[in-house]
Amino acid sequence: MVVAFALLAAWELVTAAGVVAFRRPIYNALSLVANMLGLAILFLMLNAQFLFAAQIIVYAGAVMVLFVFIIALLNPGVDLTLQRGSTEWIYGIVMGVLFAALFGSLLYNRGLTGHTGAFTPDAIAATGNVQVIGAALYTKFLFPVEVTSILLLMAAVGAVYLAMRKAE
Amino acid sequence: MSTLAPLVLLAPLAGFLVNALFGRMLPRRVSGWVGAGSIGLSFVFALAILTQVIGGGHIDQTYFTWWSSGNFNVPFNLYVDPLSSLMILVITGVGFLIHLYSIGYMAEDRGFSRFFAYMNLFVFAMLLLVLSGNFVWLVVGWGGVGLCSYLLIGFWYDRPAAVLAARKAFVMNVIGDVGMVFAAFVIFLNLNVLDFSSVFSRVHQLPKGGTVITAICLLLLVGAVAKSAQLPLHTWLPDAMEGPTPVSALIHAATMVTAGVYLVARMHLLYDWAPVAATTVAVIGGVTALFAATIGTAQTDIKRILAYSTMSQIGYMFLAVGIGAYAAGMFHFMTHAFFKALLFMAAGNVIHAFHDDQDIRHMGLLRRGLPVTFWTFLIGTLSITGFPFITAGFFSKDEIIRAALSASGIEFVMGLAALLTAGLTAFYMFRLFIIAFGWEWLRDDPRHLHEALPIQTIPIVILAAGAAIGGYIPVANFLQPVFGHAADVGTLAFWGLALLTLVAAAIGFALAYMLYARRPEMAAAWRTRLGPIAALVEHKYYIDELYDRVLVRPGYALGRFFSNVLEPRVIDGAVNGVANFIMLESREWRTIQTGRVRSYGLWTLGGAIGIVALIAWTLGYLPFRSG
Amino acid sequence: MQIPAYSFLLLSGGMFTLGAVGFLVRRNPLVIFMCIELMLNAVNLAFAAMSRYLNSLDGVVFAFLVITVAAAEVVVGIAIIVQVYRAGRDMDVDELDLMKE
Repeated sequence: MVVAFALLAAWELVTAAGVVAFRRPIYNALSLVANMLGLAILFLMLNAQFLFAAQIIVYAGAVMVLFVFIIALLNPGVDLTLQRGSTEWIYGIVMGVLFAALFGSLLYNRGLTGHTGAFTPDAIAATGNVQVIGAALYTKFLFPVEVTSILLLMAAVGAVYLAMRKAE
Repeated sequence: MSTLAPLVLLAPLAGFLVNALFGRMLPRRVSGWVGAGSIGLSFVFALAILTQVIGGGHIDQTYFTWWSSGNFNVPFNLYVDPLSSLMILVITGVGFLIHLYSIGYMAEDRGFSRFFAYMNLFVFAMLLLVLSGNFVWLVVGWGGVGLCSYLLIGFWYDRPAAVLAARKAFVMNVIGDVGMVFAAFVIFLNLNVLDFSSVFSRVHQLPKGGTVITAICLLLLVGAVAKSAQLPLHTWLPDAMEGPTPVSALIHAATMVTAGVYLVARMHLLYDWAPVAATTVAVIGGVTALFAATIGTAQTDIKRILAYSTMSQIGYMFLAVGIGAYAAGMFHFMTHAFFKALLFMAAGNVIHAFHDDQDIRHMGLLRRGLPVTFWTFLIGTLSITGFPFITAGFFSKDEIIRAALSASGIEFVMGLAALLTAGLTAFYMFRLFIIAFGWEWLRDDPRHLHEALPIQTIPIVILAAGAAIGGYIPVANFLQPVFGHAADVGTLAFWGLALLTLVAAAIGFALAYMLYARRPEMAAAWRTRLGPIAALVEHKYYIDELYDRVLVRPGYALGRFFSNVLEPRVIDGAVNGVANFIMLESREWRTIQTGRVRSYGLWTLGGAIGIVALIAWTLGYLPFRSG
Repeated sequence: MQIPAYSFLLLSGGMFTLGAVGFLVRRNPLVIFMCIELMLNAVNLAFAAMSRYLNSLDGVVFAFLVITVAAAEVVVGIAIIVQVYRAGRDMDVDELDLMKE
C-alpha cells in the first residue's frame, strides 16, 4: 500500500509540474489528463469508488476532451512567459515557496481531530458505494444538487449565447 | 392683584408682537398708537395695582413652573410690593409719555414700526426685570433690556458710529450679565434656592459680613455697575447717545440705567448683611457722580452733556442705596426720571429744529422760536440743580446728601463729594442752558425756528409738572413697608444741610452765568490757563483710550490669531490633511488595478496566504508559538 | 489504513501550490485554465481523503459537486476564450486589460 501511494504521489507531482512547465499547450493538456487519471486511482485507494468513476467519465473524459479540441482548434503558439530572458517566473516561485511553507507548517504531523462519523468503509461496503452516495445526494444534499443543476443550465445557455455572438 | 401683574407684562408684549409682525403693513398712525397705547394700558394696570399696594399689600405669586429637574424647580413668579409697584408706575408712566413723544419725533423715519416694536419689547423686559420674583427671570429681564438697548442704540444701522456704539454697550452689559449669573450661582450653591422670598428669609443663615455674602453682593454690583454705567463700566453711555433721542430718554435716563439701583434696593437685605459691599456701592456712586460731573463741564454735544449728567445722578442713587438710605435713593430715581426724560425730550425738539445738529455752540436764542421747549427745559434744569421748594430735585437730592453727611467715615467723605457735585451740576447744567438756549430775551427769532408738534410738547409739559411738584409725593412713606423707617433728623440739621446744598448750587449757577452769559471771553481764557487739565477733562480722562489699548486691541489680536493662524493651519490643516493623505494613499493603491488577471491573482494569493497565516498564528497552529 | 492522513493532505497541498504558481506565471489563457483545474483537483483529493479518514460522506459528495461546477465553469470559460480568439486578439492575458482603472 505504502509503496503504491508513494508511486502515485510522485506521478501526481510530476504531471502537475508538467502542466505548469511545458511550453506547448498541448503538452500541458496531456499532462493534466495523466494527472487526473492518477487522481482517479488515488480516489479508489480512498474507497471513493463513485468519485473514481465520476472523475474519469466527467473530468478526464469530457472536460479534458474539450480542452484538447480547443487547443487543436485555436493552435496557440508558444507561451510568451517561457521565452528566453523573461523573469516573471520569479514571482511565481516566491509565492509558491511561501505557500508551500505555509501548508507544510500547518499540515505536518497533525493528529486528526473531529467527529468520527458512521460511514466506515465496511458500512459503506454493506450497501454499496453508489447507493449510499445516491441516498445522501437526494436527502441531505438535495438543495445543493438542485442548485447545481440550475448552474449547469446557466452554463449551457451562456456558452451557446457566447458562441453565437459575432466576433467584434 | 395677582391677575393684574401679568397683565402689566402682557400689554407691552402684545404691542411688541403686533408691531413686529404686522408693523410694516399698518399705517403709521395705527402702529404708533398701538405702541404707545400698550404702554398706556400697562400704566392703567399699574395704577390699579397701586391702589392695592398702598398700605403694605404685597404678593409673591407663582403662575407656572418654568422647568423642574429632580426636586429643583424654577417657577415663573412675580413679586409685587411697594418697591416694584413704584418702579412699574414710573416705567409705564414716563414710558407712555415718551412713546407719545416718539410718535411725533420718529414720524419721518423709515423704521417707524420697528422702533415701536423694539421700544415695547424693552418695556416688557424692564417690567419683567422689576416684577420678577426670582433670580432666573431677573437675569432674563436683565439680558432682555441689554438686548433692546443694543437694538435701539443701533437703530439707524447704516450709521457706523451707531453700530459701534451699540456693540460697545452690549459688550459692557454682558460683562455685567456675567456678574449677575455668577451671583445667582453663588446664591444657589449656598442657599439652595433662587426665588426672592426664600433667599430673603435664608440670608441670615450666612455669616454676617462673611466672604460668601460679600461675594454675592459684589457680583451683583458688577451687574449693576455695567447696567447703570458707573465707573469703571461707564464708557458705553455717552456713545449710546447715537441712538434716537426717545431711546436716550427712556432707556438711558429713566429706566434701564436705573436697573442697577433697583437691584441694590431689592437686595437690600443682602447688602445690609455685607457692609463692605454696601460701602463699595456708595463709594462707586460718589466717585462716579463727581467724575461724571467734571466731564460734563467740558462737553459740547447736548446729548452727551445730558448723558454724563445721568451718570452723575445715578451716582447719587448708588450713594444713597450704598449707605442704606434706600428710600432716598428710590425717591431720587423717581424725580430723576421726571426731569431727565423731560430734558432729553426737550433736547430732542431742539435737535430736530436744528436738523440733527447736536453741537450746542451752534444753538442759542431759542426762547422765541421754541417757547414751550425753552420753558420746560428751564424747569428741568432747575429741578436737577435743586432749586428750592418748587422743584422735585431739591427734595430728593437733598435727602441723599443729608443721609450721607450724617454718616461717618468714608460715607461722610462721599457726602462731601456729593455736595461738590451738586455745585458742579448746577454749573454745567446752566452752562448748557445758557449756551444752547440763550439768556437773551430777544423780540424776534432771526432763524425762524419752529416749535415741535403738540404730541411732542404735551408729554414734556406733563413731565415738567412732575419735575416741579413731584417732590411732594410721599415716596418714603410709601416704601416704608419695604425699607422701614428712615432715621429721623432734627429740624436744624434738615434746614442746615438744605442750605448748604443750596449754597453749593448757587455758586455753580453764578459761575456759569458769569462765564457764559456775561463774559464768554473769560471762559476761553480760563480754558487756556487750565490747559492740560482741560484737555484731560475734555477727553473724558482718556479712559476710552486706556480701555482700547489694554483690552480691545489685545482682544482683536487674539481674534486675528485665531482666524488667521489657528483656523487655517491647525483646524483646516487637520481636516484637509486627512483628505490629502487619503488622496495620496489612494493614488498609490490605484496602481494595482492593472486590469491583468495575473496580477490580480498574485494579490489575491498573497492576501489569502497572509490571512491564513495570521489566523493560524493566532490560533497557535504554527510551529512557533503565539496567540 | 497505514498511510497517515497528512500525507494525502501534503500531496494535495503540493498540487495546489503547483497550480497556483502556474496560474501566476503563465500567460496563455488556456494554460491558466488548466492550472485552475489542477487546483480544483487538488482540493477534491483533500476532500476525499478527509472523508475517508473521518468516516463521513460529506467530503465525497462535495467533491462530486466540485467536479460538476468545474465542468460548467470550463464550458463558459472556453466560450469566452474562443470569442477572444475570434476577435483577433492575442492569446495573452496581459493584453486583455480592459478592466483596469
